[in-house]
Amino acid sequence: MAAYLIIKSVLMATAIIGAFSLFFVRAKRLVLLMKNVQGRSGVVVDRLADRVRALLTDVLGQSNVRRKMLPGLAHTLIFFGFLAIQPHSLELMVRGVLPGVHVADLAPGFYGGYLFIADILAFLVLFGLGYGLYRRLVTRPAYLTNGLDARLIIAFIAVIIVTFHLINAFLMLPPIGGAGFDYGRFLTVSKAFNEILGLENLSPAAGRVTYETTYWIHILTILGFLIYIPGSKHLHMLAAVPNVFLKPLERPKPMIKTDLETEGAQTYGLGRVSDLSWKSVLDLYACTECGRCEEQCPAAMTGKPLSPKRLIHDAKADLLLQSAAIIGRSFEAVTPLVRENSAISGDVIWSCTSCRACEDICPVDIQHLDILLESRKHQVLMEASFPPEMQDAFTNLENQSNPWGFGSDTRGDWAEGLEVPRLCDRPEPELLFYVGCAGSFDDRGKKISRAMARVLKKAGVDFAILGEEERCNGDLARRSGNEYLAQMMIQENAAVLNRYRPKKILTGCPHCYNTLKNEYPQFGIRFEVLHSTELLQQLFREGRLKTRFGGLEQIIFHDSCYLGRWNGLYEAPREVLRALSGGRALLELRRSGDKGLCCGAGGGRMFMEEKIGRRINAERVDDILASGAGMTAAACPFCITMLRDGLADRGSDIDIMDIVELVDRATG
Amino acid sequence: MANIGVLIESGEEGIKETNFGIITAARRQPGGVLFAFLLTGDASAAKAALETYGVQKIVTVMTAAPDFGLRPESQAAALAAAVKHFEIKGLLGLASPRGRDTLARVAALLDAPLVQDCMNVNLEDGTVVKSHFSGRTTATLRLKGTPLLCSLRPNSVEPVPAPATATVEKFQPPSAGSGRILVKEVKKSGGGAMDLAEANIIITGGRAIGASENYKMLRECAEVLGAAVGASRAAVDAGYAPHGMQVGQTGKTVSPKLYIACGVSGAVQHFAGMKTSKVIVAINSDKDAPIFGKSNYGIIGDLFEVVPVLTDVLRKQRQQG
Repeated sequence: MAAYLIIKSVLMATAIIGAFSLFFVRAKRLVLLMKNVQGRSGVVVDRLADRVRALLTDVLGQSNVRRKMLPGLAHTLIFFGFLAIQPHSLELMVRGVLPGVHVADLAPGFYGGYLFIADILAFLVLFGLGYGLYRRLVTRPAYLTNGLDARLIIAFIAVIIVTFHLINAFLMLPPIGGAGFDYGRFLTVSKAFNEILGLENLSPAAGRVTYETTYWIHILTILGFLIYIPGSKHLHMLAAVPNVFLKPLERPKPMIKTDLETEGAQTYGLGRVSDLSWKSVLDLYACTECGRCEEQCPAAMTGKPLSPKRLIHDAKADLLLQSAAIIGRSFEAVTPLVRENSAISGDVIWSCTSCRACEDICPVDIQHLDILLESRKHQVLMEASFPPEMQDAFTNLENQSNPWGFGSDTRGDWAEGLEVPRLCDRPEPELLFYVGCAGSFDDRGKKISRAMARVLKKAGVDFAILGEEERCNGDLARRSGNEYLAQMMIQENAAVLNRYRPKKILTGCPHCYNTLKNEYPQFGIRFEVLHSTELLQQLFREGRLKTRFGGLEQIIFHDSCYLGRWNGLYEAPREVLRALSGGRALLELRRSGDKGLCCGAGGGRMFMEEKIGRRINAERVDDILASGAGMTAAACPFCITMLRDGLADRGSDIDIMDIVELVDRATG
Repeated sequence: MANIGVLIESGEEGIKETNFGIITAARRQPGGVLFAFLLTGDASAAKAALETYGVQKIVTVMTAAPDFGLRPESQAAALAAAVKHFEIKGLLGLASPRGRDTLARVAALLDAPLVQDCMNVNLEDGTVVKSHFSGRTTATLRLKGTPLLCSLRPNSVEPVPAPATATVEKFQPPSAGSGRILVKEVKKSGGGAMDLAEANIIITGGRAIGASENYKMLRECAEVLGAAVGASRAAVDAGYAPHGMQVGQTGKTVSPKLYIACGVSGAVQHFAGMKTSKVIVAINSDKDAPIFGKSNYGIIGDLFEVVPVLTDVLRKQRQQG
C-alpha cells in the first residue's frame, strides 16, 4: 500500500506537470497570435466598474445565454456545476501527490458546506448535458454545430461529473475516506450513489481498487480536457470571460475608422488574418459555435452563403492554419482571407445586411461586423473587388452625393411649395432637418419628408434644411467598404455643419441618424442628433402635437435595424404609435424588438442585386402577412421600399407607411 | 490630305446600325479618303450599306490564321499595321465593349492618344467632347499626337446617308502574332434581339406584366418599332424576365431617344437607370404611379389593352408609309 502511494504520488505529479505544461505551451501560442496580429482594435479598457458589472450579469448571471431559454438554462446548470467541482478536483490532485493534505482536517465545517453545494450542483450538470445531447441527437436545430467536438466535450464533462459522485460515494466508506470527516453528513447525491450501488457490501480490497480506478479516470479526464481545450471550440471557456469584460459597453457603436492619411500604409482593412486586431482574435477564441447568430441572421435564413457562426469558425481556422507565419512575423507569407476556394468568399462578405442581429444575440459579445465590414473595406480599397452593380452607386455618390445620380442641385426640390427655409437664409433655427438622399430624391421618401415638414409646422417647431448644401451622410459608402468615399462626404458635411453649428439635427432616416450621431464624432463633429420618432415622442409628451381623431386601424411596427439594434430606439416609435391608436396596445410582429428581422436593405444591400437564395424582404413580408395587421408602420425609407416591394410581389394591398406620415394624417 | 478610318463592328446579323453614326461623324472631318476597317465579316456583303453612308474604301484586315477572329491581340496588331500602312490620321470606333477593347490595344501599340466614350470628335483641331455628370456638363479635350483614336458613344451622332462608291480590298500584315488571349466562348445574356444599351427605342415591362410569356406582346410591339425590350427590377425579381433585360440602378443604364414604360411604377431604382432618355412614355393603370411624374406622355390604362392597340396602329402606319 505504501509503495502504491509513492508510485501514485510520482505518477500524479508527472501527469499534472505534464498536462499543465502542454496546456501552457498551447495557450501561449494563442496569446502570441493575439500579440502579433497587425490590426487596430480601438478597444479602450475604461469604466472598470461597468465592466465588472457586465461580468456579474453576463457571466455569473448567465443573462445573455438565457435569452434562449432552455439551452440557456442547460448552459447555466453545466456552468455552475462544472465550476463548483473544480476546487474538489484540485484538492484530489494535490492529495494524489501529497496524501497527507486534506482541507477537511483544517476547516471541516467549511469543507462540508462546500461539499454539500458542489454535490448538488454537480448532479444538475447531468440534466444540462442530457438536454445538450437531446438537442444534438433528437431536435438537431440546423444552426447548431453538431460534430465530434461537441459530443466529445459532453462525454468529457459527463465522465468528470459521474466520477466525482463515485469518488465521493467511496469516500463515505471509512476504509477509503478515513474516519476523521463524516462525508455522509454533507453528501446527498453521492450518498444515493453509495446506497444504490451498495458500496458498503464491497470487500475492502475491491472497494480500494474500484476507488483508485475511478480516481485515475477522474483526474486523467480532467487533465486530458485541459490539454484538449486550447485546440477545440471549448477555448470558449477561457476566452469568453475576457471577451465579455472587453465588450462595447454602449449599444451604439461606430464602424472602425481607417486612417487614410497615414503615410506608408501598406494595406487598408482586413485582407488576411494577420490584419485582424487582437480583440477580433479574442472574438474568434470566444466562440463555441452555439449558432444563435446563424439562427437570427437574415442572410443565413434565406439561403445565402453567409453564416456569422461559420464566418467566425472559418476565420479562426484560417488564423490557426497560418499561425506559424504570423508568430514568425513573416506577414508576406500569409495568404489572403478571400482567396481561391477559401471558405470565406466574396459572396460571404457581401451577403451581410449589417443588421447586427448576430452581435446582439451573441452571449459572449463577439463583434462579427468588425470582421465583415473590415473585409469589405479591404476588398473595395485594395482589391477593387465588389458587386459590379455598386460601381454606379459609388460613381453617383462621388459626383452627385446621392446613390442614384440625381443632380445634387435638386436636393431641396422636394420641399417646393411648403415654404421650408434653407439654413443659409435662416441660420439659427431650433432644429436642422437633415433630409438624406432617400428623403430628397426618392418619390416615396419625398412624401415622408413633406409629411415631416408639415408635422414640424403643426407643432410650431422652428426648423430649416440645408438644401443644396446637404451631402450624403456616408453610411452607404462606408458599409459597402468604400471608406475613402465615405470620409470624403463626411468631410464635406463636416465643413457645412461646422459653419452653421446647428443646435439640434433631426433625421428621418435611421442610417443618417446612426452615422451623424455615432460616427461623425470620430471626425470631430458632435451635435445632438434626433430621429424623427424621438422628436415626435417629445412633441406628443409636451402636448405640442395632438391627435385629431380617436385612433387609426390596427397598426403593426417593423423595427429598423439602425434604429433598434444599432441605437436601442425600440420604445420611442411604439409610444408614438400608441398615441395614434388611442392608447391601444400595438400588435407585434413574430420577430420584433431586438430580435426583429431586417428588411434586407442595410449594409448597402439596397443597391446590390439579391441573386442568391430567397429574398430577405419576402421573408419579412411573411411576418407581416401572418400578423393580420391592416397597416404596417416603419421608420426608415429603405425598409418601406423593401417591404412595399415584397408586399406587391404577394399581391397584398397592406399599406406600409412611415410613422411621420401617420402622425401627419392623424394630427390637426 | 489626312485619311480617316472607322473600325466597323459586325455581328451575326451583319453590320450593327450604330456604326453608321460613327461613319457620319468621320465623314464630317475634313480630310482624304474615308476608310472602313473590318476585322470580321464579309466585306462585300457590307459594301452597299457602307457606301450609303459615304465610305470610300473598305478594307478587310486579317491574317491567314484560322482563329484570327478569336484573337484580340492579333486583331489589334493587324489593325495597327493597317493604320500605319494607309497613313490614317484619325481612327474612330464604337464605345462598345469590343470597340473599347480593340482601340485601347491599338493605341498602346501605336503609342497614340485615345479617348473612350466620346460624344463627338473634331480631327481638325484634335479635340473630342465627353459627357460628364449624367450629361449635365460636357468637357472638350485636346489631344496631342497622331494618329488620334477615339471611341464614340452609340447613338451620339445621328447617321446621315451620303452615298459614295467604295472599293474593297484586303490587307494582310506581315506578322500579327497570336497573342496570349483566345476568345473561347461568347455567352449571350437573355436581352432579346437588340442590345439595350445601343437601342434608340426601348419598351419596358414592369411588375404588372404578370408573367414571362406576356413579354411576347411587348416583343411584337418592339419588332414594329425597331425597339429593344427591357424589364424593371420588380419584373426580373418576380422571375418574368432575365437579369440581362433589367433597366435600372442595378441593371443597365440606358439613354434611348424613346422609352416606353409599360406597367412600371417608376421607383427611384428604375428611374435612375433611364432618366436620361430623351422622351419617356408611360402606360400604367394607376393614375398616381410616380412614373407619370417623370414622363413626357402618359397613357392611363391597362397595358394589356393599350399595347396591342399601339402595335396595331404602328404596324398599319409602317405598312402605309
